[in-house]
Amino acid sequence: MMNDNVVSFFSDSPPYQMLNEKLSWLLNFDTSGMLTFVIYFVAAFVIVNVMALVGGLGTYAERKISADLQMRQGPNRVGPFGLLQFLADGVKMIMKEDIIPKTSDKYLFFIAPILCMVGVFATLAVLPFSSGFTLTHLNIGVFYVLGVSSLVGVGIFLGGYSSNSKWSMLGGMRGASQIISYEVPVTLSIIAMVLLGGGLNFKTIVGAQGGMPHEWFIFHNPFTIISFVVFFIGMLAETNRAPFDLPEAESELVSGYHTEFTGMRFAFFALAEYVEVFVVCGVAAALYLGGYQVPFGLSSMEVLHTKIGLPMAPAKMIGQFLEIGGFVTKTVLLYYVVIWIRWTLPRLRVDQLMTLCWKYLTPIALFNLVGVAVWIYLFNGESMWNLVFKTGAAAAGHH
Amino acid sequence: MFDNFLFLSSASLTIVGALAVVLAPNLMHACTYLLTALVGVSGLYVTLSADFLAATQLVVYVGGVVILMLFAIMLTGGNDNKSVNKFGIEKVAPMGNAKTFTLAGFSAFVMALVILKIIANVNKATPKAEMAPYETTVERIGELLITDHVLAFEISSVLLLGALIGAALIARPRRREQ
Repeated sequence: MMNDNVVSFFSDSPPYQMLNEKLSWLLNFDTSGMLTFVIYFVAAFVIVNVMALVGGLGTYAERKISADLQMRQGPNRVGPFGLLQFLADGVKMIMKEDIIPKTSDKYLFFIAPILCMVGVFATLAVLPFSSGFTLTHLNIGVFYVLGVSSLVGVGIFLGGYSSNSKWSMLGGMRGASQIISYEVPVTLSIIAMVLLGGGLNFKTIVGAQGGMPHEWFIFHNPFTIISFVVFFIGMLAETNRAPFDLPEAESELVSGYHTEFTGMRFAFFALAEYVEVFVVCGVAAALYLGGYQVPFGLSSMEVLHTKIGLPMAPAKMIGQFLEIGGFVTKTVLLYYVVIWIRWTLPRLRVDQLMTLCWKYLTPIALFNLVGVAVWIYLFNGESMWNLVFKTGAAAAGHH
Repeated sequence: MFDNFLFLSSASLTIVGALAVVLAPNLMHACTYLLTALVGVSGLYVTLSADFLAATQLVVYVGGVVILMLFAIMLTGGNDNKSVNKFGIEKVAPMGNAKTFTLAGFSAFVMALVILKIIANVNKATPKAEMAPYETTVERIGELLITDHVLAFEISSVLLLGALIGAALIARPRRREQ
């Protein structure tokens, strides 16, 4: 097996082995390869659909929270509390006339939204929902996320270019330059976390943290707190969220790179954006906030199986679901902060955007990287809390 | 079985993408076809269990080089698709003259011979063997970069620094002479 993944998680369980034996006997060949394919397919199907739902709920949350911040009601007609508003929107999007501008570049117009979708959904393969239920814990997971998510930039740029409209063009150019620029501080901040975690695998990085806040990388040392802030700002810019939503600035560019897109094509862009916000919030949670770690090691077999005395198989499942709960809670809280920021801060100007990136964030991120490396060298990679506790214990006379 | 499938699909993606790049009359479209070819190459790296190289291919080419090319094409105008010859067929501007085509053809011929020579050796020397078990290459690449290949590493960083300073110098607002 190449890496830990959802298949290796299931293949340890007795039902899987029994099924594999039965099928192999029935069909007269080794069916483990076929079962691997089926499990991957089902897992990918479930994750993609759930994430599409999350994207839809994201649009609902955006409206509801913005309404809350502006003392309005927000959507409240479709379903309880207007919860089904996104479904109504989906139906509307499908029913809408699909307009392709006459002077647009048809081929690029067709593939631009798809590139955005593919780039975002490809990152779901390594998003660490839990230790078992992740599609795959790639050895280069963090690097892979950086790689495939850059497809989104290509999609946004082509969307702006292919529309053959000045507003879209400006939006697309802003989007591409912004995404490329902010990749630098974001990557530098991530590298600092990779140094601390000791690997590019999300499982390694999350495993190096603990369930309680003082064991998270964000509070590991003073540099990582700054690193988190830089990462978060860069992340807002990479997903084109306010205050960095220049590519779709309504007051200047009509609607930016997706002005000319209608119906499902527009829905693809919107969905890609909301899912991408969830993905980057998830990456932030995994890198800085302990990811799927649950306080007191509640999700571990040691507690559930040995101490509480649950049978092996249910204990494993409950542990996984607790981990998913921990991960999703942290991610959704970050998602809330992202929306909150959008409805609080005014938009930056283009030159301010570039100044912030190249004159402030990039040097700070570089300084942080060196700082974290020096910290690891000086204190053997121990967190500041450990050092404080140790000094305290030594002062209290414990040797 | 799965490895074969992965190899065949990435190889065909690479070849089809590369052919489409060469045959596409529109530069912008050619750039997106190049994207498929590059993704295919990264798939080929995966089949060789060079995971780090595959991800680097994605980060560098998809995220950087292709966007750079798109920008360059856009800023230089691309093609306007309006040049039509007297038979009403779209005219494609020739990309060189007789001299350059001869030179390019000759160098392609030499390159092909060299590559064939190398491939022939590989086929003769090593009998078909099972692939080595998978192991991650990140640590080894990192070690080699700062030990054996440190000179190349440093030279390329100096080159990049030069490019960065040059870009800053060009983009810098000029003081008006009064």
